[in-house]
Formats: sequence, C-alpha cells, structure tokens
Amino acid sequence: MNTTPTSPASLTELRDAVRDTPGPVVATGAGTAADWGAPLVGEATPISVAGLSGVIAHNPGDMTVSVGAGTPLADLQEVLAASGQRVALDAARARRGATVGGLFATADAGPLALGFGTLRDLVIGVTTVLADGTVARSGGHVIKNVAGYDLAKLLHGAYGTFGVVAEIVLRLHPLPAATRTVALQVPDPAGVPAAGRAVTDTPVEAAALEWVDGRLLALLEGTEAGVEGRASRLVDLLGADAEVLATADADAAWEAHRDAVDVRPDDRAVLRVGVAPTRLGDLLGGLVADLGAAGVTAAPATGVATFTVPAEPVAVDAVHTRVADLGGTSTLRARPAGSAVPAWGPTPSSAVLLRSVAAAFDPDHRLGRGRLAPWLPVPEGASA
Amino acid sequence: MSTTTTAASSTTSTLAREFAAVLPDDCLITDEVGLRSYECDGLTGFRQVPAVVVLPRNTEEVAACVRVCARHGVPFVARGAGTGLSGGALPVADGVVISLQKLRRILEIDVENRRAVLEPGVFNLDISRAAGPHGLYYAPDPSSQQVCTIGGNVAENSGGAHCLKYGFTTNHVLEMEVVLADGSVVTLGAPTAEQAGPDLRGVFLGSEGTLGICTKVTVRLLRKPEAVRTVLADFPSVEAAGETVGAIVDAAIVPAAVEMMDSLAMEAAEAAVGAGYTVESPSALIIELDGPAEECDEQFAEITRICEEHGSTRIHVADSADERARVWKGRKAAFAAVGRISPDYIVQDGVVPRTRLAEVLSQIAEMGSEVGLRVANVFHAGDGNLHPLVLYSEAAGEHDAAEDLSSRIAELCVELGGSLSGEHGIGADKACSMGRQFTDDDMAVMQRVRTGFDPAGLCNPGKIFPTPRLCGERPGPFRPHPLEEAGVISRL
Repeated sequence: MNTTPTSPASLTELRDAVRDTPGPVVATGAGTAADWGAPLVGEATPISVAGLSGVIAHNPGDMTVSVGAGTPLADLQEVLAASGQRVALDAARARRGATVGGLFATADAGPLALGFGTLRDLVIGVTTVLADGTVARSGGHVIKNVAGYDLAKLLHGAYGTFGVVAEIVLRLHPLPAATRTVALQVPDPAGVPAAGRAVTDTPVEAAALEWVDGRLLALLEGTEAGVEGRASRLVDLLGADAEVLATADADAAWEAHRDAVDVRPDDRAVLRVGVAPTRLGDLLGGLVADLGAAGVTAAPATGVATFTVPAEPVAVDAVHTRVADLGGTSTLRARPAGSAVPAWGPTPSSAVLLRSVAAAFDPDHRLGRGRLAPWLPVPEGASA
Repeated sequence: MSTTTTAASSTTSTLAREFAAVLPDDCLITDEVGLRSYECDGLTGFRQVPAVVVLPRNTEEVAACVRVCARHGVPFVARGAGTGLSGGALPVADGVVISLQKLRRILEIDVENRRAVLEPGVFNLDISRAAGPHGLYYAPDPSSQQVCTIGGNVAENSGGAHCLKYGFTTNHVLEMEVVLADGSVVTLGAPTAEQAGPDLRGVFLGSEGTLGICTKVTVRLLRKPEAVRTVLADFPSVEAAGETVGAIVDAAIVPAAVEMMDSLAMEAAEAAVGAGYTVESPSALIIELDGPAEECDEQFAEITRICEEHGSTRIHVADSADERARVWKGRKAAFAAVGRISPDYIVQDGVVPRTRLAEVLSQIAEMGSEVGLRVANVFHAGDGNLHPLVLYSEAAGEHDAAEDLSSRIAELCVELGGSLSGEHGIGADKACSMGRQFTDDDMAVMQRVRTGFDPAGLCNPGKIFPTPRLCGERPGPFRPHPLEEAGVISRL
C-alpha cells in the first residue's frame, strides 16, 4: 500500500483525487478501524478525508448539523454540548478519535443504539464522491424527508465501497439533564436474556442496557427528578441484586464496557454479532466453552454481542456459522495484522443486488476493493 | 393508430392468457369496469386505466406475475390500498397493476422479540390492534392508518404525527421479502436490530415501488408508554404557536407529537367530527408527551407553562383516553373534512426547517391571496412538515391556479432549505419538481441504484424521476442518464 495519503482539503479536491488517482483507492479517516471488515485487495492508494473536518452548519433550533466526514465525533460532541445537544451515538472507538465518516462507513454504534438507533437512523443527508468523480447528494437538512432515494443507507456499513463519503448531515438530540445507571448482578451469561426482559418489561425506558463484567447496566436518561424516580422504581422491581450506581461508579462501569468492546488483542479477532433477543441465550450458552470466546458483552434488548475468539479462520468461521444458524448477522471488527480470517457470514440472497448496484456505481471496484468480499467479490481482471 | 391499438390489445390478451395460467380466475381483472376502479390512487387528478390488474395471493404468485411482465417487457405497478397522495400507484398505460390486497395476513406477533411479521396488505392500524393485548404497538401512524397498508407504508416510508419522537417507517422495519423486477425473490435486512453490510433494506424503503415489490415485512413493536399526556392549546396567531414549538425544543423536550392547525382547518375538522376545537382561534397546537410517568408529568407542567408564556388563550387537557381520541380524531380527519368548507382541494406536503415555519406560513398566505385562493394549514409542527390544503372550485375554473399554487408551495419549501415531501412521496405528482431539490448528478446516481435493482425499468416507471414525457415540453433540468442514451436502460 502507498504510504503517503492524499489529503484533500475540500469537496472539490476530494472529487479530483478520487477521480484522478489511478487504480484502487481506500478512503481513510482517523485510522481507528483500518483493520475492520475484509482486507483490501491490491495496492490501494489511501485518500484521507481528515482534511474535510469540522462543522459546516449547526442549526440548534432545527436540531441538525452538517459536518465534513473527517470530523472526529468526540470533537463534534464538544461543539454541540455548548448548545445542550449531542449526536445520540456512543461508539466506543470515538474516544480514539474516530471520525463521523468512519463510524458511518463501518456501521459502528454503542449502547445508546437501544434508545436512538444507529447512524443509519441519525444521518439525514449525505454527500458522496463516486469512483468516476461524480458528486451526489441525497436527503437534506430536514429530519423528515422522503424525496428521492436514500443513498445514505447504501453507504452505511459499506466500508468505503460504492462512494467516498464527504459530508454528512445528522439529526441531533438534547443532552439529557440527568442520568442514572442501575446495575444488576448477573454472574452467569445464561441469565442475561431473562435479566434483560426483567428491565424491558418495566415502564422505565432504559436508553441503554448492556451486560459486562457480570453485571447488567441500565442507563436511564431524563430530568433530574425523573431519573431519580425511575432508578429507584427499577431497583425495587429488580430486587436485592440491583443498585443505583454512584456517578463515579457509573462512569467507571461504562468505561469498562468501552474497554471491552474497543479491544484490540494481538492474537484474537473481535466480532460484533446480532441475533433476536430470544436467541441471545442460545448464542451466549457455550460461547466460551465451544468457541473459545472471551471478553463477552451483550445487549439483551437489541440482541447485540461483542467478543473475541482466537484469530484463526476455523474459529471465526464457527462464529459466523453459529450466528447464521440462529438467524443473526455477524461482522469482523478488529483482527491482528496479517491474519486471514473471514470478515462476513454466509452470503445473503441480497448480495445479487450489492453486485449489480456496485456494477453501476464502481464497475472496476476501485473503492475499498475487497472490503465486502465475498459478498461483493473482486471482479476477475479488474484494472489495477 | 389502429395498428398501435391492435398491437396493444394483442399484447394484453397474451398477458391475460399467461396470467390466467398462474392465477385463479377471480384473481385477474381485464374488464373495463373492473380496470377502471384501479385507474388512480388518492391523487385523483392523475388517472390511467391499466391493461390488466392481477391479485396474486402469495409471494409465489406475485413472482409468477412479475415474471410474465418481465418476459414481455411490460411495466407493472404494485398497489396496496391505493390511499397514496402522490400518484405512486398510478397505473402505466398498457401496463399491469399488481394488487397486494389478497396478501393481508398477520403472520406472527412475536411478543418477546417485540416484532411482527406481516403480509403487505395488512392495514397499519391492525398491527397495533393485534399487538395491543400484549402491551405493544407499531409506532408509525399516518393519518390514513385505518385504511392504508404496511406495504404502501414501506413503499412511501410513511410517517405520521408521532414520528417526531419515534421516527418513520424506515426506522421500524427490520426485514423484507422482496420480488425483484425479474421475478426473483430476495431478503433485504435481517430480523435483528444489528445488520451487516450496506443497508439495502433502507435503500428499498421509500423507493415508491420503483425497486421491486415487498411481499413480507418484519417490523419492530414498541412497548406502550406508561403515561400519555395530551393538550390542545389555542393561540392568538400562527406565529405565537410557532414560537411555542421553538420554546419547547429549546427546553430540551422531545414531545411524541406537536401538531398545528389554523382556523380554516379547525373549522373543517370541527364541522366533521366535533373534536372540541375553538373554531374562532387563529391557530392551535396539539402537543402529546409520552413515557415514564414521572418525566411525563414534569415535562407536561413545563409545556403548559411555555404555552401560557406565549399567550395561549385556552389550554384544554385531554385527561382521558376517550378525550384524547376525540382530539386526535379531528386532526386525523382534517384532510377529508376540508371537503365541507370547499368543493375541491389539493393536499400538499412539504418540509421546511422548523425554525422557518413562521416565514413559510406567511409567504403561503401571501401567495394564496395573490391568486385569490384560500389555503388551510394542518401540519406536523415539530418537524416542519407542512400540509397546506389549497381550496378551490373546479366548477369555477380554479383548478389550474390551485395546482400551480400548490406546486409553488412545495418548491418554496425547497428554497427555504427543506424538502418537496415529508411523507406523501414524489410519485407522479412531483417528479417534475425534483430538479428543484436535486442536481442532475444526484438524480443520475439515484438512477444507478435503479439500474442495479431493475435494469429494464419495469417497476413503476414514470415515478419519482422527471421524464420528458411526464414533464412535457417544460424546460426542466432533466437530462437522460448516460446509460439511457446508450440504450442500456429505458424508462418506459
């Protein structure tokens, strides 16, 4: 791979760089997920979007903001906090400087996905540069908008294939006035689904619900009096194993969750998987014993789990197969340099569309070539 | 001319024969009277009698019908309940209408996973009815929810009053089974919150029937909120109501819904259902909060205070489920009710950034008085989604002026940084305005998506994108896609 990235500073420069760079191209941001997804195939020239950074327009009254794709999410949150607002996304790797564009391209999300969805739900407009230099925009600056196709959805989770994302418009939410975290002791992973249901069956509406380090954490957001009342109600309903955490303990508990999912071990692969909540028990049972999993975290209300397994093709493949058998989806997150483990699960029936749309967007597969393989195979004889 | 007619009817009889081979007799309509009932959807100004209507009963029959169309290169239009307001289900001349009304089973209410598996012909409200006994409901609630189908909601990415807090159809659909233009069947999305790879489900949602036909859909169900508080507040001016909405947003409150009506709209709704509106009031807001009881009560007190501060002349709290239903009944009946105060009317749908509501409303009023037409306003104030109703009389020859005013209102929304449509779709109605919101390149790239899904352009052609045929000789920004010029794709 070429080592000197091209660093355009504007949309026009980005367009020219994508169009005029010969051969395969890989869009880069902060580099926090360079090893996610399948490995790049061939000598791809990096084009960094880090130069497209910062707020383009923030409209607090409309609760929208447009930013360059290279804007670090953490920086953006700081700007928005001054207006009492936020992007309701708490992906763990944001603390390492991850950009909005990178988080979007890799479909990353954190615990708040339970309450607010992921960037697929929060992005309301996108500007993208196609392999041939065409600049296209879809959506816009209003939250409610059904005019034209929603190209943002095609680019969400596309790992830099189809187009290089240049600008993103996001819907915002108010920063909560107060939060509480209720922790429930759940030492055995087999008990996670039932513990999760015990919380979601109550009316307290957790914004996040995650199992980590033998405890189920329920995040409550709202007004000071509101979260106080909801937290004590929840503790009453859950019984003696539950407690409201002090602020410092709550912060530490959520930081430990970030540590668990944002792990980058030398000899293990990190996977994020999702199944229907009722299948989570089947997934977690035997995960450690059968598949050698470690560092397991799980979100019982969304059915999402993150864990590591040995970075061997057989082990990773076994995860993909097990999750697919449970009707779920699985994605490789991080892997040790040089390890060749399968990034994606069994090819879905919709891959036929990925391929035909890719043929119309980027016939030579110049952008992120190989990232979605084998769902989107590198065409034989693609020009280098 | 007679040659063309003969060729068309010969194709039609061939089609009918082939459909008859894959469908029972009562699932095929070829007679003039029967066909005529499919000539338009809720946008009744656009009419086109199709060549054939088929009513398949399951995915296999839908796929078989699509294969017949594909074999003959005949365009087809999927249709649910036909309640759409943008002509999305307008038939194509010499084309086929594929009605999904026989696919109307609720296949599963999965209480523990909070999801429902549905056939496309299920009515929106019936999902919540089926889920209700389990304490669950389906959040998107278009005003037509008693009669519109989930398949149509998928095609249009329908919203509703409560999408301010809960989002649109696209935020609630997990997985779909889709029949593509060649008759093959694929699954888009997954039955799980987490999904891997590019979100093709999201691309399909809101594509207005131009990328394929949805034959099965899995949606999320939500737990019913513990508390719901609804208030109807009158204001001395539309501006005061608008400022109140801004103050609620500034107070970091996200209501479940904030709806605004002006006096004309209230007069009509009151005449129709007697919802308890003050018809003399220049404007009113319906504000609904839901969630945990503590929070709801606290924020409700705050909202009441904000309304008073902004000069609300009457605050009516709907304090029972019946009373709440009455307040909403008036709002949801408002479109149809306008028929009581005007012989004819056009429902418009546009979006502006919420902070520009006052500006757009005064401009609409000005534009209306310039051409001597009244405009009633009913809208989702929380997200800037306007539904101006242009009142006119066909008999008095006001139709063209009304159409023109209505189009100019939608285009004004775009000029103010908004969108041509918040929830009704582009369809046939606004295809010619798309160039106001999107560049040629934007639309050409959207067409590349289309090419990937439907290379022959058989799925609902003539919708969303402007075509020279549809937009006549009007000088427009449209240029054909390069693939079209090269003869690789075609629109009709």
